[in-house]
Amino acid sequence: MNYSVYFQKAKDQGIDELELSITSTKKLSIDVFRGEIESFSSSLTKALQARGKIGNKVGYVNSENFDRKKVDELIGQIKENAENNNSKDECIIFKGSEKYTKKIVFNKKLEETSVDDKIALLKEIEHKAKLKDSRIKDVTVSYQEEQSEKVLENSYGLKLKDKSNYFMIYCSVVCGDENETKNGGDYILGNDLSICNVDDFVDRVCADALDQLGGEPCDSKKYKAVFNPSVTISLLNFFIHNTIAEEVQKNTSLLKDKLNQLVTSKKITIEERPLDRGIFFRYFDDEGVATYNKKIIDKGILKTYLYNLATAKKDGCASTGNGYRGSGKVGTSTSSLTIRPGKKSLDELFAKVGNGIYITDVAGLHAGMNAQSGNFSLQANGYLIENGKKTKPVCLITIAGNLFEVFKNVIEVGNDVKTTFQGFCPSVVVKSISVSGK
Amino acid sequence: MISKNLAKDVLNACLETGGDFAEIFIEDTVKDLISLDNGNCEQATTNYVYGAGIRILKGLQSVYGYTNDLSRSGLMNLACNLSKSFHDQRIKTVNEIKTVRVGKSHQPKVPYENVSKKERIDYLLKGSNACMNYDKKIVRVMIGFTSTNQKVYIFNSDGKFIRDTRVRGRCFINAIASNGVAIESSGEGPGALKGFEFFNDEIDIVKVGEDVARVACMLLDAKECPSGKMPVIIGNGFGGVIFHEACGHSLEASSVSKNLSVFSNKLGTQIASSIVSAVDDGTIEGAWGSENVDDEGHKTHRNLLIKNGVLNSYLVDSFNGRRMNAHENGASRRESYKFEPTSRMSNTFILPGKSTPEEIIKATKFGLYAKSMGGGSVNPATGEFNFAVNEAYIVENGEIAYPVKGATLIGSGKDVLLKIDMVGNDLKRAQGMCGAASGSVPTDVGQPTIRVSEMTVGGRGEKLN
Repeated sequence: MNYSVYFQKAKDQGIDELELSITSTKKLSIDVFRGEIESFSSSLTKALQARGKIGNKVGYVNSENFDRKKVDELIGQIKENAENNNSKDECIIFKGSEKYTKKIVFNKKLEETSVDDKIALLKEIEHKAKLKDSRIKDVTVSYQEEQSEKVLENSYGLKLKDKSNYFMIYCSVVCGDENETKNGGDYILGNDLSICNVDDFVDRVCADALDQLGGEPCDSKKYKAVFNPSVTISLLNFFIHNTIAEEVQKNTSLLKDKLNQLVTSKKITIEERPLDRGIFFRYFDDEGVATYNKKIIDKGILKTYLYNLATAKKDGCASTGNGYRGSGKVGTSTSSLTIRPGKKSLDELFAKVGNGIYITDVAGLHAGMNAQSGNFSLQANGYLIENGKKTKPVCLITIAGNLFEVFKNVIEVGNDVKTTFQGFCPSVVVKSISVSGK
Repeated sequence: MISKNLAKDVLNACLETGGDFAEIFIEDTVKDLISLDNGNCEQATTNYVYGAGIRILKGLQSVYGYTNDLSRSGLMNLACNLSKSFHDQRIKTVNEIKTVRVGKSHQPKVPYENVSKKERIDYLLKGSNACMNYDKKIVRVMIGFTSTNQKVYIFNSDGKFIRDTRVRGRCFINAIASNGVAIESSGEGPGALKGFEFFNDEIDIVKVGEDVARVACMLLDAKECPSGKMPVIIGNGFGGVIFHEACGHSLEASSVSKNLSVFSNKLGTQIASSIVSAVDDGTIEGAWGSENVDDEGHKTHRNLLIKNGVLNSYLVDSFNGRRMNAHENGASRRESYKFEPTSRMSNTFILPGKSTPEEIIKATKFGLYAKSMGGGSVNPATGEFNFAVNEAYIVENGEIAYPVKGATLIGSGKDVLLKIDMVGNDLKRAQGMCGAASGSVPTDVGQPTIRVSEMTVGGRGEKLN
């Protein structure tokens, strides 16, 4: 589709600079429950995100209606929205980076695999999970596939295109008897279905639920702890939020004035690697700035804040390619965080801890974490670690502490890297965490 | 919008392969968002949500698809693609589509299109300034306003065409306080299924701003909450999030019908203390979670969920109702055309009892008074939940002793409901967005002040036994 009409109309209405970002998305999702396809959904949508500037003022419009007759109304709204804006933050429509590292990551095979084959795979997982143990009562398997094509175009003639796809298979099981019910689950994320090892996956999912049976709160005290990758990356996301330049500039980050200082344990190296081939690959950010791989924390030292064009200009540096657009003003985000793995396996981490606790799940992050102070109190599940081995299941406990202290107290990083929606992460050992149980 | 003729053709294409029910949900929504940061309008955004969702049911199977290509070819392609999931003979044909007249409650008196963006900003500035000027420790105030005009058009294979317009407005205010050492925050978000008259007549934005500032400042000096088991008094209004999370979600047919809920097969049994009665009421005039019809086009109801502690009703959508042999009760909702509808809450709250809040505090020798709650979540299979407490105090010898911060309430829904031993007379509702399988929908939570005889409190302070 040709969007020149938008640029022409904007010019006619006195909008000096216009940027359009158009995303076409194709999705497939399938849920299998008790051997049947319980729900099936497919979609094809296209969405426009536009921002336009009049002088230094910017207005935003997002639309799913591409009717030609709507163009005037959309441009009119951008104009009205811009006229009411009085942000002190600059909005920069970008002329382009010198060099872009484009790679083809779209996997055609995923799209070409028939729906029937995908359903067969789900049914195999469901069937095998059901047979695993007589205490397994119900199994749900779901599949999600998304393909997206993105075009970024602006009135400086910058035009960038990207196409990607991924799938996620999620399996959850409910197990127990009349006295007790537990559930567990896990997922596989990627864009190549051949990475799915069904037996291995089913083992993991079933163990996640079955091992929790008989769980009860443990004694309230401080424990040496292993956090699994999912728990670690959930906490990491809040930590990284403090490296966003806008938070630093607005005095809401506790990492202000901490550049080139030790902010975590020396065991921790955190990178963002958007240019690695894979599902998180993106070679330009939402403002059209070329992305690059970088260390954010290097052996505990804070190496950089994360910038978009506006916050970078304020600090007199270059954007780090972390511009991110939700539905309006450009913010800052990462696409693939990585905690650099260590050498020890999970069992070796248990051995190192000796006696402590293995935290496998935390809930209530949206409310139990104070993103500003880093103080948290979260519902958690896991297992005791006794004599260097994972033993009794533990549930209905809360772990409480401070995010910054947790990352300072990491004494070991494992090699058990998991691919999560936020990036790649191993387990970590934390010197001490306060547990409230019985 | 599409013609009845096109709708009929699309529905018949859906039913080609043996589907027993088909539905088209079309949405044309405009959402306006304005947000201010420290008094500056940081952004004004207009969102146009536009598209169609098509659903075909066959027994206990459903297929769903959506597109924003509303042309004949776009819709027919989607219908044909979806119908390929089934392989039987046609059993149903739509011959005629008739308009179903629905009630016209919840009409805005001052429509948002009559309120310029400048007027909205002026209104927000009053709240923002009151908040900022409350105390020098307030370092950042974020305030915003959203208005939504959602027009829905529902066609189904029962030959019905139903339309509804939902006009909502909500204001958000968040304050961050700092004393140089600690940083704390607090927020409020009043809203309604009403026009701008709600903000002019019912909300004192200056008071809301001051209140938010007061709590953020108070938290700076609050002690860390002690941990352990203790009686917990939960304040009215947003305190109802406990019931929403710990009980409401487990009463939704989406989990009940599959025996995935702790309350499956429990109709007629005692699930709560006998002083507890609770409703889900989607009919309250102008309430944030109300609607004339649900997102399947059925009239909304006042459903009595719990009567004197006995489970009386679930929240049922027509699809999950098939699995549990129950009739839908106007509780099927979705965020937008991108979501298949399912059973959801609307305005869910515990009904008032007899005690005054003062009496409840006076009757408590030692405990936590969780005056205002943050968010929470629940595992529907186990009923285990957690809530963060925003504003909280320790009660000693029947009096509020001192404020605490960092408290989390954890437990399981079925235990807590049975342990409610006092219910206040000060029912209040508060607004929230509830996220679940069919997306994020506006819901009211609510309750009077209640007391739970014993609950596990997580905190970073001393450990109590």
